[in-house]
Amino acid sequence: MELEKFSYDNKIVKAFIIATVVFGLVGMLVGLTAALQLVWPIFNFDLQYSTFGRIRPLHTNAIIFAFVGNAMFAGIYYSMQRLLKTRMFSDKLSWINFWGWQAIILAAAITLPLGLTTSKEYAELEWPIDIAITLIWVVFGINMIGTILRRREQHMYVAIWFYIATFVTVAVLHVVNSFEMPVNLFKSYSFYAGVQDALVQWWYGHNAVAFFLTTPFLGLMYYYLPKAANRPVYSYRLSIIHFWSLIFIYIWAGPHHLLYTSLPDWAQSLGTVFSIMLIAPSWGGMLNGLLTLRGAWDRVREDVVLKFFVVAVTAYGMATLEGPLLSLKNINAIAHFTDWIVAHVHVGGLGWNGFLIFGMLYWLVPKMWDTKIYSNKLANLHFWLGTLGIIFYALPMYISGVVQSLMWKEFTPEGFLVYKNFLETTVQILPLHMLRATGGALYLTGAIIMTYNLIKTAYAGKFIANEDAQAAPLTTASHGNTGWHAVLERKPIVFTTLALVAILIGGVIEMVPTFLIKSNVPTIASVKPYTPLELHGRDIYIREGCVNCHTQMVRPFRSETERYGEYSKSGEYIYDHPFLWGSKRTGPDLQRVGGKYGDSWHYYHMLDPGSVSAGTIMPAYPWLYEQLIDRDQTALKINALRTVGVPYAEGYEETANGDLDKQAARIVENLQMEGIEVMPDAEIIALIAYLQRLGTDIKVKDNTVSANQ
Amino acid sequence: MKNRIIIFILFLLPASVWAQDAPVTKGFWDDPINHPMAPFYALMALVVLVTVLVFIVAIMLLQVLNTFVERAAKEKAAALGIEYKPEPSWWQKLDRKLTNAIPLEKEATIELDHNYDGIKELDNHLPPWWKWLFYGTIAWSVVYLIVYHVTDSVPLQQQEYENEVAMAEEQLRKIRAAEPVAAIDEATLSYTADAALISKGAVVFKNNCVSCHKEKGEGSIGPNLTDEYWLHGGSIQNVFTVVKNGVPEKGMIAWNAILKPEEIRDVSFFIMSLKGTNPPNAKAPQGAVWKEEVKVEGVQADSVKAQASL
Repeated sequence: MELEKFSYDNKIVKAFIIATVVFGLVGMLVGLTAALQLVWPIFNFDLQYSTFGRIRPLHTNAIIFAFVGNAMFAGIYYSMQRLLKTRMFSDKLSWINFWGWQAIILAAAITLPLGLTTSKEYAELEWPIDIAITLIWVVFGINMIGTILRRREQHMYVAIWFYIATFVTVAVLHVVNSFEMPVNLFKSYSFYAGVQDALVQWWYGHNAVAFFLTTPFLGLMYYYLPKAANRPVYSYRLSIIHFWSLIFIYIWAGPHHLLYTSLPDWAQSLGTVFSIMLIAPSWGGMLNGLLTLRGAWDRVREDVVLKFFVVAVTAYGMATLEGPLLSLKNINAIAHFTDWIVAHVHVGGLGWNGFLIFGMLYWLVPKMWDTKIYSNKLANLHFWLGTLGIIFYALPMYISGVVQSLMWKEFTPEGFLVYKNFLETTVQILPLHMLRATGGALYLTGAIIMTYNLIKTAYAGKFIANEDAQAAPLTTASHGNTGWHAVLERKPIVFTTLALVAILIGGVIEMVPTFLIKSNVPTIASVKPYTPLELHGRDIYIREGCVNCHTQMVRPFRSETERYGEYSKSGEYIYDHPFLWGSKRTGPDLQRVGGKYGDSWHYYHMLDPGSVSAGTIMPAYPWLYEQLIDRDQTALKINALRTVGVPYAEGYEETANGDLDKQAARIVENLQMEGIEVMPDAEIIALIAYLQRLGTDIKVKDNTVSANQ
Repeated sequence: MKNRIIIFILFLLPASVWAQDAPVTKGFWDDPINHPMAPFYALMALVVLVTVLVFIVAIMLLQVLNTFVERAAKEKAAALGIEYKPEPSWWQKLDRKLTNAIPLEKEATIELDHNYDGIKELDNHLPPWWKWLFYGTIAWSVVYLIVYHVTDSVPLQQQEYENEVAMAEEQLRKIRAAEPVAAIDEATLSYTADAALISKGAVVFKNNCVSCHKEKGEGSIGPNLTDEYWLHGGSIQNVFTVVKNGVPEKGMIAWNAILKPEEIRDVSFFIMSLKGTNPPNAKAPQGAVWKEEVKVEGVQADSVKAQASL
């Protein structure tokens, strides 16, 4: 048969590689800054744009979407062309994908420090950027599916399956979770409220880990690991079983982020059991990776690429065992809201994603520049610095998580909390936070060394922009393997549809009942919508990223009800667009803080937290005392919230500012009695109003009424 | 520098983190040589060291033994004129059993005829242990859902919470029954300048009150506790009641949920002892001048004065 001549596009891969390295360094540097802030808050340089609450989402977004995202595109664009024996479907779409993605990253880097955030973790970007992400993702999808349809290889290799699953699932997750009602160009409210918002968010958040950080990287592993090891993939049938079971089961596991919260018990249990069932499918990937190295282990000792891959796959195995174990109620009760989860995430992020990317880059760059790696020694040094970095990061955080959790829960025989003051438990773990920052610094140093090494390599070689290749055109005649799955591998559209069905089932079964059956969220008569001033305050709370350190979810444990007050009920959150339950307690829970302290306490505490709580690591927020709330937004906020179902009376937006002024005047008067003079429009007044409202609705009287009575 | 050493030790010995939790007893690292547990720790360290050494020696001996066995087998094979094949190691056997993999040399028999950019695929069996792990987790999940949601044999979170609270109350009742303590309340309380109690109260004050009333009681968010002016009365009964029940509308917490009755008494004594200390930067007076009532007995009034002059 006549061979067709064509060329692979390396230029787009090069662009994505450069973006990967640049944003990797930036993301890690921001992470290191955030780590330092958790010991010395002064590392926010007293700027409102760089407080921990704004830097932390910048770090997570930079790492997930800029570093890992660009690496994913680089890896996919390189491997897909070769696995399908064709150039990408459209060079133009490739470059729209590239520049569009970088523009989104730039927008994120500008808006997040400005405090423009939806507050939903890993989905913080505001609605115009959400739309841009959707468009660019669709461009990527068209480019990918188009390439698959134009392939010269009859069957789709396992890596391609994972790429397909990544594309369809991320599209579904992003669109569903980003349903929001715009207030203005820079502000929106989540379409969902309270428990439902939490369920959708963690369905998204969990599966962002699954389908942005895991499935594309399993695909990359299936290409780069056998290539680098020059060994056949261990087991084709293991690939099939673990692929389908992984994508089907993963999607159900989201509620394990919400154990012991106000989420209905049945949904929590589904989250737990599907997490446990996820162990084997995840390990299937690890086994297929590690066993592919059978007969090549002697080379692992010398080949730095393989070293990175081995640690990456092992870290994947550890994180995917740890995750399910953390989903068990009794372990979750200790680990949730603590540094343990941070450690868990970083074993996955630094180990699995980071090391797979490093290995891939050390393999790709010499290939694409047709040369050898500049320095094996430096690459080895990077490997050891990175490994040490992971250990120095993870171990202190594990210890810190357990220590703090046990301190939170310890009672005296007389039934009083031993550590009554939350701050005592924070101060205890600060040395461990310092060690964690050391680990992060080691890891970053390794990445800087890699950057130098790669640049030197590239300069030593000659870049091949278009790599010539030839292959026979696609024939319809089947050869050899005729198993049912082999048939499926020849039908990309059917395959994609089946993958879509597999990932929709779990989400639909968990979400639909929570939305439709009222008994899942019993209403409480005394719970009322926020007042206009409180709304402004809540938006400041969101802007400053308070949710990054403070939860609003008192779990039904005696140690929490003793410390914070009555445990949280789902009916309390029905007007919370978005929910602000949080996922980490660096500071105490705030669900019941309303009325606990006087207004002046909050006034001094925000101005200089150390003056009220000596030794605290909370930063000061002096700008709240100078900046004024924008009263013109009040009506827009009320209207937007009414659209998503908050029962403000028709026309209330006209008179809302009157109520706002009255409430502000009361707080100003309270502060005046303590000798404090402050403008009624100052942001601090709105924030105090919101904080004083928190959790007070059910203090009025316990009149829980089930909606279906 | 000292800090850095502590951090390093913390990292090496997670247990010492807990040791630091108890501020009253001296930590091991304050004076390791004279610590009562020092001989025990030293002994344990020695045991660990010896164990490690024994292991190393044992492994070396085994290796020597293996060489002899291997040599014997080789000689035997040479004598019989057949090719020597080393016995698979314990690890190789286990690996084979667990993965059920086709040996490397027979790989060609399970290689699929695809070739993706040079990548070949084998079609090994699913590792048996992995398969059973998968079945096991599925079975576990079914049982989990049944016991929680069908047979209701395990309490769900609300029930779990109620059980936990009931258990704690039961335990408390037992403790109280075992050693009954005279109830401390405002009705029976009278102030004495008991230095021991006051110093205990000072600790309570430092841990809980300074955020609003400041180190020396000079006041900031909360009122000045050192002057003669009181918002809710300045008798020991008044102070005790305010600490106990709080003044929620003004942001004073009701401490009875957090502090034990003894602690509330101690801290109230400490507050009484602050009168007239005249710290710098004191907050302006709030409330009215409080005068001890006439019926106060002479002894107590004296003790207040004595304390005030300290």
